[in-house]
Amino acid sequence: MAEEKRDSNKRLREFLFKAIKASIKGLIFYVIYLVLSMFLAPVSEIVPNIQQIVEIFVVVYICLMIIGELTSGTIFQHFFNAAKALFTILYLALSLNGGIVGMTVQDVNLAVDLRLFLAVAMLLGLLGLAKSVLQAINFLNKKSEHIRF
Amino acid sequence: MKILIRMVGIATTLFWIFLIGFFISAVYSAKDVKFDFGEPRIGLSSDNEILFSLPITIDNKGYYDIGSFNVTTEISDREGFMISRASTFVPVIEKGRQIMATHEDTIDINDLLGNSQDYLFNDTELEVLETVSIKLADVIPVQTSRNLSVPWGAPLYNFTLGKIEYSGFNVTHMIATIPINFENHASFDLTGSIQMRMYNNANILMSEGQKTIETPQNTPYYGQVELDVPVAAITESGYFEVYFLTPFFNFGPLVISYG
Repeated sequence: MAEEKRDSNKRLREFLFKAIKASIKGLIFYVIYLVLSMFLAPVSEIVPNIQQIVEIFVVVYICLMIIGELTSGTIFQHFFNAAKALFTILYLALSLNGGIVGMTVQDVNLAVDLRLFLAVAMLLGLLGLAKSVLQAINFLNKKSEHIRF
Repeated sequence: MKILIRMVGIATTLFWIFLIGFFISAVYSAKDVKFDFGEPRIGLSSDNEILFSLPITIDNKGYYDIGSFNVTTEISDREGFMISRASTFVPVIEKGRQIMATHEDTIDINDLLGNSQDYLFNDTELEVLETVSIKLADVIPVQTSRNLSVPWGAPLYNFTLGKIEYSGFNVTHMIATIPINFENHASFDLTGSIQMRMYNNANILMSEGQKTIETPQNTPYYGQVELDVPVAAITESGYFEVYFLTPFFNFGPLVISYG
């Protein structure tokens, strides 16, 4: 009975530690976003949607990051990490309209070609996805070794 | 396996930091790049073509060089027929430097007249498509374009011939005085000559003559041509063939009936 209670206390402590770690990570990420958004302020005056697009990305990314952190030590952590990488790839591709961003400001048509940036970002996203898959394989491998043992 | 995963993780993080840092600094530095398009000037080129020149000043106070600065203008008429196209290209604008360039585009009036003679006699508008493209930090292409309407002033606006007045000269010939008037709405001073041929209603050439004109821009012209016509050939009606010979364009015949 006492061992069971100690075990549950330990789990609670572990969960609290994960929650604190996730919160700190999320907070750091948000602070970085706030600092970077100051640099993007001149652009958001010209492109009204960019603030909203970046905010949605940051919110979803932080959520996936927190969930991934809370589920650390389980296979779900790797699922969420893979989801994070896939979300990054798809969201960038969709929000940047395939790399060509066009808008009309007053009577001036503005077009920005971000295909190179998008290609590099997608490659990095794929690299993140590959890392998550490798981590999942490593995790399952270790688990099976542990069970055999 | 663990080392490999860690290496991939570190490499990905570093590349993300580099990519986001570079992108944001490139976009942020774009605000310190000043483009100043001066007042467009319209003049004449050495080939007597209309010269449209636009002074451009680029002050690059950003963190990166700007590559492939290109200004292109396409001038077309209201029906979309392209009259002229010109580009000005600056390969690199280094950071911290100011560059002054002049974009020039020429319009050959003879090309305009090949499409429609209305440009000589009626004021209208020309469509200008202005495109400016640059490469931010030499890797992010940005292009802006806009359509403008530029007023076109006709050099022979409201060209009319007045009522012919005959006066005696000798027994066989009379002097026909034909008043000419128009307004020069063009952006250049019109110099040259007007040649006139007078035909009677039997299509017989009765006389011809010419008049030198010199009309500054935005001023009206009132003048007259005197023709020595044979009395026997004079009829109530007929027509004139008018030719315009100027350094900027040659046009004719413009057929105007009388009587």
